[in-house]
Amino acid sequence: MKNRNFFIGATTLTVLSVIWILLTPTIFPRVEGAAQSTAAHPGFTAPDFTLSTPQDQTLSLADFRGQPVLVFFWASWCSVCKATMPGLQAVYQDYQDKGFELLAINTTYQDTLSTAINYYNTQGYSFPFLMDESGSVSKDYQLHALPTSVMIDPQGTITDVIIGSGMSEGFLRSLLDNMLAERE
Amino acid sequence: MFPIINIGPLAIQAYGFILLLSVFIGFWLSGKYAKNLGTNGDAIENGLLIGLLSGILSARIGFFLQNPSLFMENPLSLVSLTPTMLNANFGLLIGLLAIFIYAQKQHLPLWPTLDTLTPLIILVFGGMHLANYANGDTYGLPTNLPWGIQLWNAIRHPVQLYAIILAIGLLVWLLLKTQWLKHNPYPRSGTLFLFILVGLAVTTIFTRSFVAQKSQMLGLDSLQLLAFLLLLLSLYLIYQLSIKPQEHIQVFISLGSNTNPEENFAAIQQQIKDDFTFRRASSIYRTQDVKSPPANGSYFLNQVMEIETNLSFQTLTEKLKSLERDFGRIPGDKKVVPLDIDLLTYNNDVFTYQNKKIPNPDLTQYQYIAVPLAEIASDFRHPATGKAIAEILDDLQDKTTVIKIEEVENGTTG
Repeated sequence: MKNRNFFIGATTLTVLSVIWILLTPTIFPRVEGAAQSTAAHPGFTAPDFTLSTPQDQTLSLADFRGQPVLVFFWASWCSVCKATMPGLQAVYQDYQDKGFELLAINTTYQDTLSTAINYYNTQGYSFPFLMDESGSVSKDYQLHALPTSVMIDPQGTITDVIIGSGMSEGFLRSLLDNMLAERE
Repeated sequence: MFPIINIGPLAIQAYGFILLLSVFIGFWLSGKYAKNLGTNGDAIENGLLIGLLSGILSARIGFFLQNPSLFMENPLSLVSLTPTMLNANFGLLIGLLAIFIYAQKQHLPLWPTLDTLTPLIILVFGGMHLANYANGDTYGLPTNLPWGIQLWNAIRHPVQLYAIILAIGLLVWLLLKTQWLKHNPYPRSGTLFLFILVGLAVTTIFTRSFVAQKSQMLGLDSLQLLAFLLLLLSLYLIYQLSIKPQEHIQVFISLGSNTNPEENFAAIQQQIKDDFTFRRASSIYRTQDVKSPPANGSYFLNQVMEIETNLSFQTLTEKLKSLERDFGRIPGDKKVVPLDIDLLTYNNDVFTYQNKKIPNPDLTQYQYIAVPLAEIASDFRHPATGKAIAEILDDLQDKTTVIKIEEVENGTTG
């Protein structure tokens, strides 16, 4: 009797699974290509923004379509940010002429601008310093913690979102090498 | 979505924290289960930790094997504590290999060990889905259902929660079936583990349909296909282990008698040769009663035998009980024991049947069983722990004396 129950159960599970798997493409069609809609998550198009530098130069993410872009959210009180940035600067120097762009967005709405500018200047960074004064870009990118690194491919699609120290020099180089190799 | 958990001034990455927590609880539950099953919980835990550490380290090494120039530029980053720069596939491969080698070295028995790990497996499965929920990963398709959640610019199926609910259901089933991880209800080791795999496979097949981003294979979701293969394999193995009638099952039994022992032993030898396929018998040993202080001149005779049978465990138990009764045994009488037959092991399986544990726990406690067993099966390993009989003898606390009184006819070596 126990054996019969097993056979009935096993057959039912197998048949239902086959039906469910085969019907999935029909009942649950893929309604969206994620890349067609915008969200701060890998696979989606990166939300666009326009921000200005302390020198009143304005930059938009859209300006860099066709290039790999790293958007890096930071603040001057964030020690992990400051530990990560020298590595990013080194990569920026090596890959800038290959089309790589690094946009360092200072969360100015929760930072002291003068301290941040002072830090940026003393370190001799050459990547653009953008100010998110209202916090609206941070909100669009659902910023939860600093630093947050958002890697965007030349098509404008987010490939990686990394919170914390993970966007190390080595990791960024490997990402760019892969991305640039694909483009060739 | 809650990628960061704030505890006071601490901001913790939810993904890693949830995974760590579920592994921790899983270890605890599996450790508890190991104790109750009698499997080697310490060795299992060590094996997993070794696998985890070597897995993480080789994930990093794998990354640098792929990107050697990065290693040349900054060799110290090999040991950097960042959670990136990892090659997950390579890490998984080496981690599993390390576990396999360790398990071989420790002689950990496959199926009882996997049964022990069932709580951990469910916890990690559920934890991974909860971690995905925290990060907004493997998000669901858009839906109009009232329980849809707002995520990535749409109202979506909370598909990670569907998987978590099913995993919780599976855990509750496990807890009820094993009576809160007290024992293994299935007479064949591995059956419990395979039923859990069936549950996880069905959960994956069901929930993957609601996931927005699928990896396509033949127009179908490849993870669903993989889970389906796992389902078929698990069902097939359950059939092989538990459903198909078994043949040539190796069984060790222990015979004991303190009332007319010489006569009873002579008779039972013949009886067992008539009823079963007889394989080996130890010498007969004169032993002391281990449960109560010996009365004047009273002693036991004991012997261990290996037999082969096609009977199910239940039928075999009943048959041995009826043999005991034929020799005049009154159930419950501990003083007058014309014949006592204890099942020691049944086919290397670890389970509980009507409150009786198999392998018999006395096997690792008393001389009157371990010594004769060592005589006929010097290569014997405990089905639950994988411990060799020599090690079992060394660990005995029992100080009663056992004396070999007679060489049996078929001549065995001690």
